[in-house]
Amino acid sequence: MSERSPRTLSVRQIRKAFGSHQVLDGVSLDVAPGETVVVLGGSGEGKSVFLKHINGLLQPDSGEVEVLGCPVSHLDEDALVELRRRVSYIFQQGALFDSLTVGENVAFPLQEHTRLDDAEVAARVAALLGRVGLGGTERLSPAELSGGMRKRVALARGLALDPEVILYDEPTAGLDPLTGLAIVALVKEVTRSTGATSLVVTHDLAVARELADRVAFLARGTFAFTGALAEAARQEGAVGAFVRAGGVHG
Amino acid sequence: MLGRLYDLTWRRVRHLGAVVLLGEAVTVRLFTPPWSVRDMVRQLDAMGVKSTNLASVIALFTGMVLSLQTAYTLAAFGAKLYIGEVVGLSLVRELGPVLTALMVGGRVGAGITAELGSMTVSEQVEAMRSLGADPLRKLVVPRMVALLIGLPLLVVLADVMGIFGGLLISTWELGLTPSFYFGHTLRLMTYGDFFSGLGKSVFFAFAIGLIASYNGLCARGGADGVGKATTDTVVGVAITVLVLDFFLTKLFLAL
Repeated sequence: MSERSPRTLSVRQIRKAFGSHQVLDGVSLDVAPGETVVVLGGSGEGKSVFLKHINGLLQPDSGEVEVLGCPVSHLDEDALVELRRRVSYIFQQGALFDSLTVGENVAFPLQEHTRLDDAEVAARVAALLGRVGLGGTERLSPAELSGGMRKRVALARGLALDPEVILYDEPTAGLDPLTGLAIVALVKEVTRSTGATSLVVTHDLAVARELADRVAFLARGTFAFTGALAEAARQEGAVGAFVRAGGVHG
Repeated sequence: MLGRLYDLTWRRVRHLGAVVLLGEAVTVRLFTPPWSVRDMVRQLDAMGVKSTNLASVIALFTGMVLSLQTAYTLAAFGAKLYIGEVVGLSLVRELGPVLTALMVGGRVGAGITAELGSMTVSEQVEAMRSLGADPLRKLVVPRMVALLIGLPLLVVLADVMGIFGGLLISTWELGLTPSFYFGHTLRLMTYGDFFSGLGKSVFFAFAIGLIASYNGLCARGGADGVGKATTDTVVGVAITVLVLDFFLTKLFLAL
């Protein structure tokens, strides 16, 4: 793993519109190395759009995004590929490749970016699947997996290249409460054992309670609040109401 | 009214521009490594090998119908014996490549759009980008290579099957001998005729791959969006093949 920058992630006044709809309207956020920030907000507030700017899947109309010392908005395609090796993105529904088996999905980044031979890749895939509690599922097809299992496989795939930053898009969306808690526990364990900087987008306050060093509340295209979750509960207006509705009190 | 017409025209122009840009990006990747040979072989099997029955049956019956109609028309001029020349040249220069491109293009193009479309709407294409892989190189190039190799080979097969269909009718219905039919089929046919048909199929293959991939990668909004994109591909492939055929025919005749 390369040496960490003093500030892993810095977002400065980014704006993004789709047609006439202004989704992000001057969003700024700093995340320190090893810190876990949970981005909260209602549905359709642009949380996922914000997250996709971090690894360059979307480019802002204006503003700057800097990740691990790289100015994401100014990188060419080759430099973005290099950055994406170090920044892992876990998609909401897992986004596993349907045409590949579970094992091939987890092996994908290893085959794409390393020179490991087939046996080494297989061993690494087995270890990664074991780590997320799905040992021995290499030959299964993604269609045979439950929602929780898909997210676990996606996490295993995302960990394959030992990322320094992990971006989670709604890690518990669509799961029953128990499975959701199990995924949160897994994310917590991964964060602890890897020391990776994490940015978690969710509307689920249980996730924020378990994972967040800080929360950032996205509303109307900007962060209305950043700080501790307990402090958010004491806020007036939309921030406090959202957090208190989830059973978190200052 | 004028505003809507302007919007529609502008949207079409933007789509066309995006297709041209995609074509440029795919062409660059076709000629620069790395290439995934395993994916190319897999796609060649799915698109080419599995289309052989379709191409053969269509060409066989086209050859048979063409023979019947040609014999009927030429009989009016007492020129029925020239059936071999007409069937052979029509198939090799025109019907073989065009019908194969229409049928196989519809089948394969719809398949490409449906597959890439479902990958797009389920974020698999974005996942590929986020894993540092190039979706054009991983998804589009193998399909394009499979089409560029597979379609010309299917056209050769269609030419052979079509001429064979003509042979069946010529011998059963018209009482010609096989050697007489083949002699006349090959008498006027040149390598130029054969290669103009084959050349057309390469352009058709590129157009089919491009339209199908573009519609798949631009699919939005779930199953409904994928269905609409697939329909757009089938319509787009049919129109493009026929329009392209006219201009390629003019071009090859002028060469």
